[in-house]
Amino acid sequence: MDNLILILAEVVSAILCFILVRYMIKPYQYTGESRYVGLPLGFVFLGLSYLFMVFTLFSGTLIFIEDMKWLQLLTQAFAFAFLAVTYYFSKQPTKRKRLRWQITFTGLIVALVISYLIVFVPPPFVLPSYKTVDEYFRLVNIIFASYISLNALRSHAMKSENKTLWFPLGYVLLVFGQYSLLVWSLDSSFTAFIGAHVLRLTGLLVFLLVSLQTFVTPHDATKERERR
Amino acid sequence: MKIYGDILSILYHETKKEKIVLTHVQLKTNVPYDRLKKYIDELKELGLIQDDPSLELTEKGQQYLREYQTVLEFMERMGLMYKKGVSHTPLLSK
Repeated sequence: MDNLILILAEVVSAILCFILVRYMIKPYQYTGESRYVGLPLGFVFLGLSYLFMVFTLFSGTLIFIEDMKWLQLLTQAFAFAFLAVTYYFSKQPTKRKRLRWQITFTGLIVALVISYLIVFVPPPFVLPSYKTVDEYFRLVNIIFASYISLNALRSHAMKSENKTLWFPLGYVLLVFGQYSLLVWSLDSSFTAFIGAHVLRLTGLLVFLLVSLQTFVTPHDATKERERR
Repeated sequence: MKIYGDILSILYHETKKEKIVLTHVQLKTNVPYDRLKKYIDELKELGLIQDDPSLELTEKGQQYLREYQTVLEFMERMGLMYKKGVSHTPLLSK
């Protein structure tokens, strides 16, 4: 039963991420700026990481469970990396910054391919235990997600409008979700485990609501703006 | 794509004022004149603007501009700074 609820939470998270991709691709589509390609990629990877977790939960006794666990770990870390890099390069695009973006993006793709190869083609050296690596990856995810949250919060502070508060809040919820998973990994606290899933789902729902509010009811916002 | 949105936005505001002077548009977009002419031709081919009787946005162009501005608003909500210190232009009314 617990497993079923967990699978459901992962599936819903994955669906939310894949729906969000539809909106996240728009900045890239409409501006043609490659630095925004990290947004849809980030949410695709985030969705995939939740799907890999579902496979892990389903295939409890199968041989490839270890591969799936590693894939989930890597995919989620790369998701946060893509999002963080997008926020880092979202400022004023200069020629130098464009070049740095291209180098960083290429570096990320190369790192991604190498990491996946290491999972599927066992390297000559012994890999550290999954549990240890999992904790380090959670820490990395927290750092990336905190960076994104701080960037989004800084933008909100500059505008101080209510509508710019919700996205940073969503990112903060993802940070606490990752933190709760780290706590659960360290002391197996059931509350932390449930909390992590609730926080994550709430964060993703916040993203979806903001996206729907922007794209589905844009003309109400227009009228309001014009009235002001 | 980005430049299309920017040019359409400027053209929209210029049409409100008086007759469109391309050099004003060029100054605002910061694009060389010959390249601006090329973009204007491309926008005409796409059916986003028309120059009969004068240069102005078509219904399709206004729809594109509305979507473009919604995307800029979305980016603002996400905390992404598209242009440093510059917010998106006021939204078009439907």
